[in-house]
Amino acid sequence: MPKLRTAITSIFTHFLIWLFLIFALYPILWVIALAFSKGVVPESRVLPVPSHFSLEHFQAVILRTDAQGRWLFARQLWNSTLTATATAFVSVLIAIPAAYAFSRFDFVGKATTLRGLLATQMFPGVAASVPLYLVLDTLNLLDTLSGLVLVYATSTLPFALFQLRSTFDTIPRDLDEAAMVDGASRVEAFLRVVLPVARPGIAITALFAFMSAWNEFILAATFLSREEHYTLPILLQSYATEHDANLGHFAAGAILVSLPVMILFYLLQRELVAGLTAGGVKG
Amino acid sequence: MVTSLSLVGIQKQLGKLQILRGIDLEVESGEFIVLVGPSGCGKSTLLRTVAGLEIPDAGRIHIGGRDVTHLPPRERHIGMVFQSYALYPHLTVRENLAFALMLRKADPAAIEARVREVASMLGLEALLDRYPRELSGGQRQRVAMGRAIAKRPSLFLFDEPLSNLDAALRAEVRVEIKRLHTRLEATMLYVTHDQVEAMTLADRLVVLRAGKIEQVGRPLEVYAHPSNRFVASFLGSPSMNFLKVKRQGERLVAPGLSIEMPEGIETPKEFLLGVRPHDVERVDKNAHLRMEIDVIEAMGFESYAYGEVGEDPSRVAGPFVARLGCEDAQRLRRGDRIGLFAKRIHLFDLGDERSLGCIEFHPRSIQPVAYSRPLASLSEAGAMEKPL
Amino acid sequence: MLISTLLQRRFLSLVLHMAPFLFVASGRIQAQEGALTIFLWHAYGEGEARGLEAAVKAFQARAQEEGRPIRVEITPVPFGAYASKLQAAIPTGKGPDLFIDAHDRLAFYVESELIRPFGAWPPELDGEFDPLHLNALRWKGVLWGLPLSIKCLVLYLNRKLAPPVPLETLEDFEALATRLPKGIWPLAWEISSTYGSAALFHAYGARHIDEAGHFTLLGPAAEAALFRMQALLAKGVVPPEGSGELVRNLFASGRAVAAVSGPWLAPDLGPELEWEVRPLPRLREPPKGQSGAMTPFATVEAVFFPSRIPQGKEDKAREQAARALAIFLAASEGARIRALRGGHIVASERAWKGLEGLERERAFREAARQAIPMPTHPLMSRVFGPVDRAIRKVLRGELEPGPALIEASHRFADETRPPPPPRDPRFAIVLLTSLLLVLLFFATRRLLDPQFRVTLLRSLPAYAWVAHALIAIFLLVVLPLGVGALTSFFAGQGRNLHYVGLANYIDILTARGQGLFSRGSFYLVLGVTILWTILNVTLHVVIGVSLALLLSRSRLFLRPIYRVLLILPWAIPNYVTALTWKGMFHRQYGAVNAILSAIGFEPVSWFARFSTAFTANLITNVWLGFPFMMVVTLGALTSIPKDLYEAAEVDGATPWDCFWRITVPMLRPALLPAITMGAVWTFNMFNVVFLVSAGEPDGSTEILVSEAYRWAFTRGNQIGYAAAYSVLIFVVLFLSTRGLPIFGMQQKNLGEKKGVAHA
Repeated sequence: MPKLRTAITSIFTHFLIWLFLIFALYPILWVIALAFSKGVVPESRVLPVPSHFSLEHFQAVILRTDAQGRWLFARQLWNSTLTATATAFVSVLIAIPAAYAFSRFDFVGKATTLRGLLATQMFPGVAASVPLYLVLDTLNLLDTLSGLVLVYATSTLPFALFQLRSTFDTIPRDLDEAAMVDGASRVEAFLRVVLPVARPGIAITALFAFMSAWNEFILAATFLSREEHYTLPILLQSYATEHDANLGHFAAGAILVSLPVMILFYLLQRELVAGLTAGGVKG
Repeated sequence: MVTSLSLVGIQKQLGKLQILRGIDLEVESGEFIVLVGPSGCGKSTLLRTVAGLEIPDAGRIHIGGRDVTHLPPRERHIGMVFQSYALYPHLTVRENLAFALMLRKADPAAIEARVREVASMLGLEALLDRYPRELSGGQRQRVAMGRAIAKRPSLFLFDEPLSNLDAALRAEVRVEIKRLHTRLEATMLYVTHDQVEAMTLADRLVVLRAGKIEQVGRPLEVYAHPSNRFVASFLGSPSMNFLKVKRQGERLVAPGLSIEMPEGIETPKEFLLGVRPHDVERVDKNAHLRMEIDVIEAMGFESYAYGEVGEDPSRVAGPFVARLGCEDAQRLRRGDRIGLFAKRIHLFDLGDERSLGCIEFHPRSIQPVAYSRPLASLSEAGAMEKPL
Repeated sequence: MLISTLLQRRFLSLVLHMAPFLFVASGRIQAQEGALTIFLWHAYGEGEARGLEAAVKAFQARAQEEGRPIRVEITPVPFGAYASKLQAAIPTGKGPDLFIDAHDRLAFYVESELIRPFGAWPPELDGEFDPLHLNALRWKGVLWGLPLSIKCLVLYLNRKLAPPVPLETLEDFEALATRLPKGIWPLAWEISSTYGSAALFHAYGARHIDEAGHFTLLGPAAEAALFRMQALLAKGVVPPEGSGELVRNLFASGRAVAAVSGPWLAPDLGPELEWEVRPLPRLREPPKGQSGAMTPFATVEAVFFPSRIPQGKEDKAREQAARALAIFLAASEGARIRALRGGHIVASERAWKGLEGLERERAFREAARQAIPMPTHPLMSRVFGPVDRAIRKVLRGELEPGPALIEASHRFADETRPPPPPRDPRFAIVLLTSLLLVLLFFATRRLLDPQFRVTLLRSLPAYAWVAHALIAIFLLVVLPLGVGALTSFFAGQGRNLHYVGLANYIDILTARGQGLFSRGSFYLVLGVTILWTILNVTLHVVIGVSLALLLSRSRLFLRPIYRVLLILPWAIPNYVTALTWKGMFHRQYGAVNAILSAIGFEPVSWFARFSTAFTANLITNVWLGFPFMMVVTLGALTSIPKDLYEAAEVDGATPWDCFWRITVPMLRPALLPAITMGAVWTFNMFNVVFLVSAGEPDGSTEILVSEAYRWAFTRGNQIGYAAAYSVLIFVVLFLSTRGLPIFGMQQKNLGEKKGVAHA
């Protein structure tokens, strides 16, 4: 009897998971089907399989060139990779010491600052991009990837700060203190003990920063003025305009854009599960 | 060089709470000092202040004659074992042991030699390449000690290092720490709330309460001559019994109690009488106290009886506890009344609860044999015993 | 925040006044290698861009020959970012030297002082253009640009499908409806949009707006047009819920005899399709006084010149070069290249001589000549929203044409009501100054407290750790948001902003004088937003926690694979998700309806009713958000000690008890901050609402953020009003999350509790 019950429970569990799996994968399969179909006509049907398998959309997206005949895809892939990686790096780099201070020190204005940081997440950016444009102009960073990185990195900063702070909070203070007793300065203790231990949490924070930079296009399109500086989502966006939409190209582009993030998710799934809640550091 | 430690007027406030209220303590080289007290008494904060992890609001700290009050921990040359062990989870045992030396940029060969030495001292040789998460609790504890030892500090700080171990292991490591102390000849400052550790390890005990030192002295002496009711009740298990007694001429009386006092001892009319469970003996006649048994616990080699002496008003807190022989546990039962003879009683003032002295009685005689006056100086060794 | 930072509009002058320190002499775009470089921006799709590029190349070659080399840097800007980019770039001098846009935005650019007049008419252009098209580029009596090409709707006819009967009138198509096999539509036509339906209104003699900018789509003529649309739909002449995409799909796949579409459809038609271009069908029995011709709107694509603060000698040369390029592109030589290489329906009359081979393009041009240029009046752009909604209401059968049009006119009046009168800012300045003084007073008093000074002194080392991050956030997050928030006290456009005090807020909070719960009122939208947030977060948590519990069964077969696959939705950009789901909810071609009909249900018009449209949004956002909760829960589950369950089992607890008495309380500390954060994100989840339902039907599924964006750009760029909306969103969120645990703020307690559990 108990064996039978376990079997039934197990089958039921798998059934439920499959139900959600279908829900989760169905739209993705549609995008894939669309990307590998020939032409632009989606068919009305239940199963997401490509009609007339073809790689033409991928070809068109990947081989696209600009007015001078330069190969755009490689260029924009490089821009995107550079921008997103630099954003993740800069964001985490700026956030780490500040998050450590928020976790370990008490100082005047700490609670207010934290509230304020949170508040920035609540304010819709309806009216922020023109002032941002002016700031970048002042810094002479318009039309540069570094300017874009700066904007992305700072806008991901508040969340990175919260995320890293909770990571550091899960690392016992005893560790820093042990290192300090062992002869380390505060900075050394931080660098040699806390940072290595916080690696999973840092990886997740970097992943989030990477992701938001990787997917953004409105600010990128506003701040960049040369096609060779454009990032991939801008390219993707050009396939989804009102009149000139090309869903096949869009789907192929969407897959190409999503793939790196999917791979990162796959590689970091362990850290993701641990890093979001506990900082992933249990003795 | 062996270091001595001197604390003068240490005060520390955390938030609104005054944690340390003026601590003075002189530690001689090579001494094993145990800081003991209930939780919240400030013993850990005091230890952390010595380590440099907290900066005192007032007072000075000298280690080896050097004023370190405002020096960061790394310049104090101390070794510390944390309650949580605080092993670096990303480093192997070997790297944990070598961490301090690497920070000092010592020669790799020398580091390796030192690590081996410490590992063999603690039996960690086989574990050197493991990570802390792969170790058992006892092994982690050893690594934590090894990490402190490896840097050869002259002053060791222990913050409740055994509290996360099970009882058997705790006894084992306790002995080991004692052995290490002898071997390393270092000064050790050890924080615990466990009185067994306090009694067995300490050269001198420092009993703390609410940020103040209550008594300092050799363990047995503090046990025998607690300077006040708090110290008396804190040390010893089961804890000392207290009864409120009146003095009628040369007799001490309370419900269920009657004790003949030696002559010439001045006491207030009413005061507190303390009797350790271990200081009573069951007698059929000449009993000082009469007790009605409620519960009796057999420990094998002895037993403890819990019950009432006289009526409620005389008792100050909890049931009266008496140590009896192991065979008594089988003979006695609930409701039985027994007579008890107190071999040693402590007198405490009702108001400030300071010790008024203690009196010893000979088991076969009604007359007391000795009276010790309260200790004059807290750190003074040896009580004055006056034969009668 | 990043993703939601969409377009917004001009309050540059405000910034100029309020934050002069922002303006350090801005660097000029540098010329390269001796040749004068000028910049040209456009928002063309790929095919049209090719034509432009070819023409520009020819221009460069000629300039080279003439010994005054000019380099032209062409930048294609995504359509969605075009307007905001121009508005941000031009006033700072970082704009292009010339840009291409449709003439219907001309008046807006002029009002915002973003473009300068074309200047003296070069005689060589005499007779080059149709005066009608040149006129479309005139506003306030001044010519602002040169026409490049003309776009209007035409009739595409599938030669294979067309029966051998004349198809010249609407009635011909109505007759066709009964004779065609199932699945083939007579006429793929997006009648539900203002742009698509304009030709029919025109045929009945109705006009959208008059010279003075009054809404004129009222009365029997307009109503008759609407009745006709109803009939077309009822008789199955046109497909329901026709969108540009549907028109394209139907015609391209051979499922429509004819389609009403613009030149943009042609490149998507495969070689196997035999088609031709014709003028739109006529009305066989025209109403009195009308010709019966269906004349669509024509849009003139023109090249404009950004206004610029003169900065030196080189500018003159650049201006001349830009002018030369514009003339070259517009005039016959450049136009011919554009037509041949990019299929542009060029405006140049002379160019068509020598283009006799381009049969289809000529047909487009013929149609364009008949078309009515869209009114240049700036209020024309505000007609679209209200009229779209009126048409859809009529077609859904919710309202009769008369009342629907009256409602549209009210809505138009409401959305174009004059901005609040300017207020004297002195009061605000005095108030602000005194507030500042009070703050300063308290700050000083605190500083005088010696104990505070000690704490402050002790805080100094910590500041060294946080300063750089806070400065960066202040400069690039707080400051832009703050300036944005300040615009909520202003009204107007471009450089003509004026201070209006709290008028924007009062307008919003009093629902602009209409019923407090009337459609589109702040309170109703707030209600929808709250419902949206609660349902979403509840579903995220329920699904996320359920899946995490299922996945946490230790001996689950395939567990790692399940976990990765279930996280996938998170890895996809949310605009891709939104567009994909929108496609799946399509009435005709959506997979959701395909599934429904496969299991025997009627297909659902998802965006015709509030409940279904809201559900569609909800499903999309649930799909997007559950992996986050699942992952958080998975992490939190690993920290629950197993022995708790064992103890509970010993105590006789059922699995149900275990869940409610152990799992839930133990998950709370980790989940609560995630829920708070998720609620904030969902509350402002612009992309899903904007892209999936787009507020349909009738704006009922809008949430506060999407409503704010509509005011910021589809309703005449009322940036101050939109800013007031976002400040209110902020206030609502801030007040409702006060006291709730926030990510990173409660974790400390969590850690401590854990420590206890381990000890």
